[in-house]
Amino acid sequence: MIRRRFPWLSYLVVVTGAVLTVVPFLDMVMTSFKGPGESGTLPYRFLPEAFDLSNYRAAFDQLDLPVLFRNSVIATALITGSVLLTSSLAGYALAKLRFPGRDFIFRLVLSTMMFPPFLFFIPHFLILVHWPLAGGNDLFGRGGAGLTVSIAALAMPFLVNGFGIFLMRQFMVSIPDEVLEAARIDGAGEFAVWWRIVVPQTKPVLVTLGLLTFVDAWNEYIWALLVSTANPDVMTLPVGIQLLQDYVDPTRTMPIVMAGLVLSILPVLILFLLLQKYYIRGVMLSGLK
Amino acid sequence: MVNTLAPVTTGRVAHGAAVDGRSRTRRRRQAVVAYLFLAPALLFFALFLILPLGFALLLSMSRWAGFDLGDIDPVGLDNFTGLFADGSTFLAPILTNTLLFALGTVALALAGSVLVATCIDKLRFQGLWRTLYFLPIVTTVVAVGNVWKYMYEPGGLVNGVLNALGLGSVAFLQDPDTALPSVVVVQAWASVGSAILILTAGLKSVPESYYEAAALDGAGPVTVFWKITLPLLRPSLLFVCITQFLTGLQSFALIIVMTKGGPGDATDVAALEMYRQAFSYGDWGTASAAAFVLFVVVLGVTLVQLWIFRRKGEDA
Repeated sequence: MIRRRFPWLSYLVVVTGAVLTVVPFLDMVMTSFKGPGESGTLPYRFLPEAFDLSNYRAAFDQLDLPVLFRNSVIATALITGSVLLTSSLAGYALAKLRFPGRDFIFRLVLSTMMFPPFLFFIPHFLILVHWPLAGGNDLFGRGGAGLTVSIAALAMPFLVNGFGIFLMRQFMVSIPDEVLEAARIDGAGEFAVWWRIVVPQTKPVLVTLGLLTFVDAWNEYIWALLVSTANPDVMTLPVGIQLLQDYVDPTRTMPIVMAGLVLSILPVLILFLLLQKYYIRGVMLSGLK
Repeated sequence: MVNTLAPVTTGRVAHGAAVDGRSRTRRRRQAVVAYLFLAPALLFFALFLILPLGFALLLSMSRWAGFDLGDIDPVGLDNFTGLFADGSTFLAPILTNTLLFALGTVALALAGSVLVATCIDKLRFQGLWRTLYFLPIVTTVVAVGNVWKYMYEPGGLVNGVLNALGLGSVAFLQDPDTALPSVVVVQAWASVGSAILILTAGLKSVPESYYEAAALDGAGPVTVFWKITLPLLRPSLLFVCITQFLTGLQSFALIIVMTKGGPGDATDVAALEMYRQAFSYGDWGTASAAAFVLFVVVLGVTLVQLWIFRRKGEDA
């Protein structure tokens, strides 16, 4: 109907919206190149006088970026790997195996999604700090930093994801039982059935779940902030960059922060642009919840 | 789209007659394997869901300064009554801010996403537009918060535009009257992409013939939008509304990055207050009580959501 005419009004709306979405990112990139005294001064100027890389160098000087990067990568990899593995295993059991208590466990998994994350920051933190016999703690969880001494603390509360299990289960239900039964008759054990038949068949969903998990884990801030406060050695990129604000000379603070931000969001951005088909499907699927 | 409530069982009644010994051992073996497969998840839920919930509930009814777990001092419901006592800032401004933050975000994100989604539907290169609108969603809150904080500054982009238009500068984040709306704008900006995505999918499911019939009847684009698009989009709209509202009630990372709840308590919200009571003031009891109060609010909204969608399911 309206398609017959050129939809100039629609273009106007969509382009305006897109500009509003992209401009803050451009401002971030531009600011990251601005020299001392060039940012935060009046009148505002969008473009830097020269594209100078000194802010990027300063970000490296102020922060141990390789360590932050390593911590972020390890935490993200642990979380993504664990979520994929546990979701796929549990999803298979719930979708294709028959055992007493299955419906109850499935309801339990669904109900875990009802608890909002903020409810857990305090108890998770206290449990990890007071973990018995870890990080210098005695049997009653006193005296040391508990499990926060390890990078794994960054990942621990996110290693299993109720939504992930639910998602995998929903997709595995549609795998025909005959295929699995045939493999079992050929003598394959359940583990082999899962690994050789179910995992390959659910690869696209695994990519989607992996990508959603990866982006969330990479961007996670509050929990990483808490763990890094207890043990600065495990600081992640977002936490470190936020700290930059307090460190450096105020006339250069923002350009250096922006330089750090550009570096920290690049990996996710590239991954998103390459695999956005899967990511976008994931967001649609999260509507299944 | 939203279908948590479908019956849990996948069907297939066990073929009862064929219960000979072989299939019984097989079934037992399958149960063992199933529990092995589920073990990591179940162990995790025990350690990181049930134990913490119990611990948080205990803390919410105790006074504790941290450190020694032996010093947890039970005080009944004191922490909860303290939150709602005269002179407490929890009800106002904190809970009020929380609701305003959530409502403001929903209103802005919904208006923006409906507008853009209905327009995108008519354009070419939908993938390109979708990618652009999605950028904020894959970006860490630290980036979003800092970029906008900087843009709101007197020498930042927003004031630069205002000045170029001949308007005076606004101290967005420093003025208690503008701080909360300013943060709301950013939260809405960051969440509009996924709303657009869900609404676009909803629009695709509207049959083309409805539009053709409307065109034959001579309906203009505005009439079509109000009489056809909007009513048929209702399930998607409702979904976006409720999920964004729930997110709005709980989010505080953006506020930590941008204002830390200030100026004063102009942008303090319940989840942030919980965080500060615990990690800044060491009042774990009050913090846990605040968390549970907010949880009750969130749970209430979730149950309304389930109720609405269940009723819809029965209608269909």
